[in-house]
Amino acid sequence: MAKRTNAVILGGGVSKFGVRQAHLLDMIQEAAKACSDDIPALKPTDIDGLIVCTTLAGRHSNALNTAPLVVHRLGLRPTSICIRLDTLCAGSNSGIIVAKGLVESGISDIVLVTGAEKVYLPQRWETNYTQLMVNDHDWDSAMGLGVPPPFFAMIARMHMKRYGTTKEQMAHVSVANYNYGSTNPNAHFYPRTLTIEEALSARLIADPFTLFDCCPLSDGASAVIITSEERAKDLSDRPLVYIRGTGQHATHSMSAGWPGETPAEWPHLKKAAEVAYKNARVSPKDIDVAQVHDCFTISQIIEMEELGFCQKGEGGDYVASGAINIDGERPINTDGGLISCGHPFGASGARQSLELCKQLQGRAINQVKDPKIALAHNLSGASAQHTVVIYGTEPVE
Amino acid sequence: MADIQKAQIEGTPALDGRYISEMDMWPLECQEFNRNYQFYDNLREGRFTTTKCQKCGYIAFPPGVICPKCWSDDLEWVDLPQRARVVAFTETQAGAPIGFEPPLIMAWLDFGKDSPLKHLLGRIINCPEGKLKEGDEVKFVVFDVPAHPIEVKRETKICDRVYYAFEPVEKAA
Repeated sequence: MAKRTNAVILGGGVSKFGVRQAHLLDMIQEAAKACSDDIPALKPTDIDGLIVCTTLAGRHSNALNTAPLVVHRLGLRPTSICIRLDTLCAGSNSGIIVAKGLVESGISDIVLVTGAEKVYLPQRWETNYTQLMVNDHDWDSAMGLGVPPPFFAMIARMHMKRYGTTKEQMAHVSVANYNYGSTNPNAHFYPRTLTIEEALSARLIADPFTLFDCCPLSDGASAVIITSEERAKDLSDRPLVYIRGTGQHATHSMSAGWPGETPAEWPHLKKAAEVAYKNARVSPKDIDVAQVHDCFTISQIIEMEELGFCQKGEGGDYVASGAINIDGERPINTDGGLISCGHPFGASGARQSLELCKQLQGRAINQVKDPKIALAHNLSGASAQHTVVIYGTEPVE
Repeated sequence: MADIQKAQIEGTPALDGRYISEMDMWPLECQEFNRNYQFYDNLREGRFTTTKCQKCGYIAFPPGVICPKCWSDDLEWVDLPQRARVVAFTETQAGAPIGFEPPLIMAWLDFGKDSPLKHLLGRIINCPEGKLKEGDEVKFVVFDVPAHPIEVKRETKICDRVYYAFEPVEKAA
């Protein structure tokens, strides 16, 4: 089908992230309300497409075919698409990729992409068993790969050994992200700030990680509207934010298929980024602001390398140089990232993309000066999948 | 009834051993549920095996019903190397899922350049905390894991299960 229009992200909303006294559907309603407040002209019945991005809904909320539940609770009447989508940590950015295709092909007009997770159960450690199911259960998980910190700690040790990365450099990521998140009322750890000394002296989680190197698991929901540039002009006077290019790449489900020379090299992210840059007709140097998947500080450091913001092995120097700060060359995770906002898997992607939408419209809390091009990235699980979405204030020619 | 009781006691060691299927950390290995049951039968004989494609020669891991390179279903079982070197590792004290006793040690294992299986995240057992070092040689080891009850023609059948891990070749003093 030929491309008929350019897809844009119009706006959206996010629920409070954290350990919530709320049902999955309560939080989706909260995110939808925030989305409605952000786009007052939008009526629920204008929405003809719904993509619900969640991994845990079936297991933790007894809600397997989740999309009709969301239809009912939000008063929607979708006619073009009504689906649930699961790519774990990349859920709602995957949903945005699908929505772009639906809008640009003419199948859908206005698509609501919502992501949500209810992580915490009455028996808290039950979540640890769910974690065995989000990796390759019968193979890596049976070796003990469940909760993520040990695996990413191993990656960090490898990166330190091969490239000389230090704990202090990793602390620069947590400090930057906590301080960004201290201004975001929806962040799990709002209004906590952090110093390098606090980060380095915190209790050990998995060597070399201290508490602040790790993002928390969180309950929460997010919602964004993806539509055509023509419909966007009807619904809002804000500057248009185009979804310029996307990429998603996977090579394996378990360690035996890992594509890198060691766990410290993520060529599958490099490939996903190359595809997105090519589609968006931009290069790494064009990215003015980014939201990357900082599930751990080492993740953000490796992502700086594989996304091409610095040379391979120099991610530690890059984050410690101040480049990622609000006055740096490329501010990263300006709403607090996963480390401060928390991580309700399916909700994180749209949370990131909404922050970039606001940055490109000039209305973010931690506003970067006059950005033109922005990038969102997620990894899924134990770095099994990489998802990249690039936004811009102008469409691809 | 006696068999069911036995299965509950041998279930995932949570909630007095009664909470089994929802939190099972081991595969459903039996022939009734898994066409790769041969892998587990081979484990019982001390063999670490996988499937090799008879058409294109590709050796996959994990094993499967078709070859992931050429999608042929003409496969044979072959043995894999049982020794590897520790490239990197991690030791978990707190937060290991119930059933994995601390320290839970997982290592990135290198099987050597001549092995069809290049690397694997492997659990290291029979190794005290703080003793494993990068570069250590480890070897394949098989152990029993909790059995699983299945229903076969309205009868409860208990499926014994095994799994594998790695242990240091040189036992720590």
